[in-house]
Amino acid sequence: MTIFPYNDKEYTVRQSGYDICRLMPDGSCAFVGVNLFQGMTAAEAEAKAKALVKSINPVGVKVVGPDVTRPNMIGGLKIVGPDVTRSNFVYWDKDSVSFPKNS
Amino acid sequence: MKMKDSVAIVTGGGNGIGEAVAKYFVRNGAKVAVVDIAQANIDRVVKEIKAMGGEAIGVQANVSNEADTAKFIKATLDAFGKLNIVVACAGIIRDGTMLSLDKETGKVSKKMGLDKWQPVIDINLTGTFLTLRDGAEAMVNGGWEGLLVTISSVNKAGQVGQLNYSSTKVADALMPKIIVGEFQMRGIRNIRCVGIAPGYAATPMLTGMNQEALKGLLRDVHIGRLVQPEEIASLIGHCVENGAINATTLEITGGLCYEHGIAK
Repeated sequence: MTIFPYNDKEYTVRQSGYDICRLMPDGSCAFVGVNLFQGMTAAEAEAKAKALVKSINPVGVKVVGPDVTRPNMIGGLKIVGPDVTRSNFVYWDKDSVSFPKNS
Repeated sequence: MKMKDSVAIVTGGGNGIGEAVAKYFVRNGAKVAVVDIAQANIDRVVKEIKAMGGEAIGVQANVSNEADTAKFIKATLDAFGKLNIVVACAGIIRDGTMLSLDKETGKVSKKMGLDKWQPVIDINLTGTFLTLRDGAEAMVNGGWEGLLVTISSVNKAGQVGQLNYSSTKVADALMPKIIVGEFQMRGIRNIRCVGIAPGYAATPMLTGMNQEALKGLLRDVHIGRLVQPEEIASLIGHCVENGAINATTLEITGGLCYEHGIAK
């Protein structure tokens, strides 16, 4: 079993099919994927598992712009709120594990 | 198209019809991406699929968000290397009438707000559009045989109190015709599109309602019971394997009738 940290969470890859598991705070396992990558070597499966975890949990920020299509009018004043349902996602390459933590 | 060894994305796969569809696919040899907004539901369904011996991934996503749609398409391709079936099950209701009147004055006392209108449009219509659009993009670029499935509703005919929901479901019913027409025009032959319009189904949305009201609904159903999600999943499975079903929306209602016995 391989354990790898990503974005402040720990994941495991287990060679029984290949299961990818997100370790929960209570030590239990939430499956990210099950019985994947059959027929691959352990190294191939681990590389693919890491790539898959990054695809499912991309690291970056959600950018919420103004909701210009649904402004509110208060008298003659137009109030444009945030468009929370149509945010954009800005990715970056390094996850939080890559950054030193403040002690 | 054979179900076995095909790869499917099921949005709303964390409960109700979506969960039944995901499990039906796995039972029949497909690999599945379970997409849902609720991580806890995803975790439960993927765990149960593991117990079934199936292959699956779980992806938390809001289907009305383009970044999330791109995410679950990419994750599916990363995990399974292809995509054959997309079922856009994610849907919500926010029932209410457009206007409410004051009983004494007869004047309008309340209007349906955008808080009830917009989320239904975003999830049921925009979410279905984005899911099908990006699923079709992957299938076209990958050259895989594919099926796109919208989930409409028998209430596409128009249900009082569901102006928002019915508006999205009539659109979801129409999409297969428009999409397949576009494929025909563009020379895209490897992808079909169908819609499924369930009647009253045994999902938490209905089984949790007032039981007396539910009995009232069932009086109009010829088979006298709710349609089971597994029966809807089975119909979708048939659509996968029967290549002649295309550009149409199929109803599965158990025989929903008007009050005086005429089937709708």
